[in-house]
Amino acid sequence: MTTTTTTLPEGFAELEPYVADWARPTREERYDTRLSKTIEELEAFYDAIAARAEDAIAHLNARDLDALTDADARLLQLLYSLILVSYSVNIFNQPRIPDSGSAFFDCVAEPAV
Amino acid sequence: MTNIQDRLGTGKGKFTPLYPELGTDPVSYEDAISPEFFEAEREAIFQRSWLYVGRSERIPRPGTYFTRELPGRLASIVVARALDGAVHAFHNVCAHRGNKVVWQEHPQEESSGSCRQFMCKYHGWRYDLEGKVAHVTNEQEFFDLDPSVLRMPPIACEEFAGFIFVNLAQDPVPLRHHLGERILELESYPFQRMTQRYGFSTRIHGNWKLAIDSVCEWYHPPYVHGRFIDKDVAKAEKMVPPVDAYHYDLFPPHMLTSVPGPPPLPPREPGTAGPPARDQRWIYTLFRAGLFGPDDVPDLGELPDFLNHGGIRSWGNDQFWLFPNLSVQIWARGYYITYTYWPEAVDSHIYEIDLYFVPPENAKDRLAQELVVDSTIEFAMQDVNTIEATHSALATRAQRQFHLSDQELLIRAFHTYVRHAVEAHQPASSTGEA
Repeated sequence: MTTTTTTLPEGFAELEPYVADWARPTREERYDTRLSKTIEELEAFYDAIAARAEDAIAHLNARDLDALTDADARLLQLLYSLILVSYSVNIFNQPRIPDSGSAFFDCVAEPAV
Repeated sequence: MTNIQDRLGTGKGKFTPLYPELGTDPVSYEDAISPEFFEAEREAIFQRSWLYVGRSERIPRPGTYFTRELPGRLASIVVARALDGAVHAFHNVCAHRGNKVVWQEHPQEESSGSCRQFMCKYHGWRYDLEGKVAHVTNEQEFFDLDPSVLRMPPIACEEFAGFIFVNLAQDPVPLRHHLGERILELESYPFQRMTQRYGFSTRIHGNWKLAIDSVCEWYHPPYVHGRFIDKDVAKAEKMVPPVDAYHYDLFPPHMLTSVPGPPPLPPREPGTAGPPARDQRWIYTLFRAGLFGPDDVPDLGELPDFLNHGGIRSWGNDQFWLFPNLSVQIWARGYYITYTYWPEAVDSHIYEIDLYFVPPENAKDRLAQELVVDSTIEFAMQDVNTIEATHSALATRAQRQFHLSDQELLIRAFHTYVRHAVEAHQPASSTGEA
């Protein structure tokens, strides 16, 4: 997929390649993405977002959480995804939780933003 | 002795001998695998206990409602707030020909909304917010019909501290009587400020009591959750609090465990998390949160006295077990989690986890909460891993006696309370082996 328009706030252009897969509005989509990737892909994503994470937090923290632009919301979703893959990269060294069998939780309620 | 074990050790003795009525003998888990016991338990406990079905914030105004499909075909119910502000529950069944009255798109799925009356989708009968018939279509065509006595069948329903409970028995003891004075103390906690909700649900192929067993002792963390602590299990064993750091309390049929936890990280300036690393401690530092909560704790004022009754140094949380199937876990860092277990069959149950936070004021607080939620679910996934394995092994009956340490006091107590409830409902001779 080629991105022809800027979908993230100014200054975060190098994260653009991760938007399509990882800037997802629901936890279920982000978790599905985690399970669909190899550990090497998760590590590459982790390294890319981690390198800009403090800048992204500072950028978002200056804004009203209830009135984020679409670009800001996507940046926030990339940080949610960073948290979700951190367990794979830093704890388990694999996308899935070891020995989890068929265990899975459906998300039945989550904040709109 | 490692540092944490020096710091948190109390020298307290064992707890189990304080409750001689529970004994110290090996136990049977026949109550978790016997289909006959399951049926007796369903009738003696789930058909006549106060069962938590949702928070009051889900129905904030008159006319708001939600439906629940209580698992195991226990009941299909509507919970609604009437015009006078009182909460009512009733079976979701039309008095005309038994159709489900309140549903949207899929009759098996739960729904919620706001209305003045409920209208049956079949023939247009209408019901008020207490479940009483308000309109019968072509009423004159019926024979000797008295609409004033017709209704969706009522269910006992009471609110406590913003928790809505129902009871399927005809004339149950009042909810507050069932809860007792120690649980009533929870009323002074500011649950109502924590409206930011994350809800999770899953089906587990194992008996519901085995799931409760798996999280009411603190013996398992270095093994089930070892990779979070240290990849070397021998090191992980030394990095958990010592056995005498925990506090247990029984007020039958309810129970409490209190757990130590790390203090919040000191405040830091933005941009000082250090160079990115593939290290979860860096993630915790970056987002200022961990399994034990956010490092920037919301100001809730002075906390009520009932918390940390056991005086744990570096207190982490209190987990109150409300018989039969609800746990309310209040965390030192200003949030709470409810865990609910709904049996479907002897070897299957629905497990619900709901986390509640003070609504975040900014992205930093929102991200910290996200990390707490994700950590909780990663840990919970590890906890549920073992339940199916335990159930299938118990069901072989190759072993029939099991051994509980002092750290597993609540397991001993909980199974005893379940058996007592079953025996109290019918003669002991007919409950089967327990």
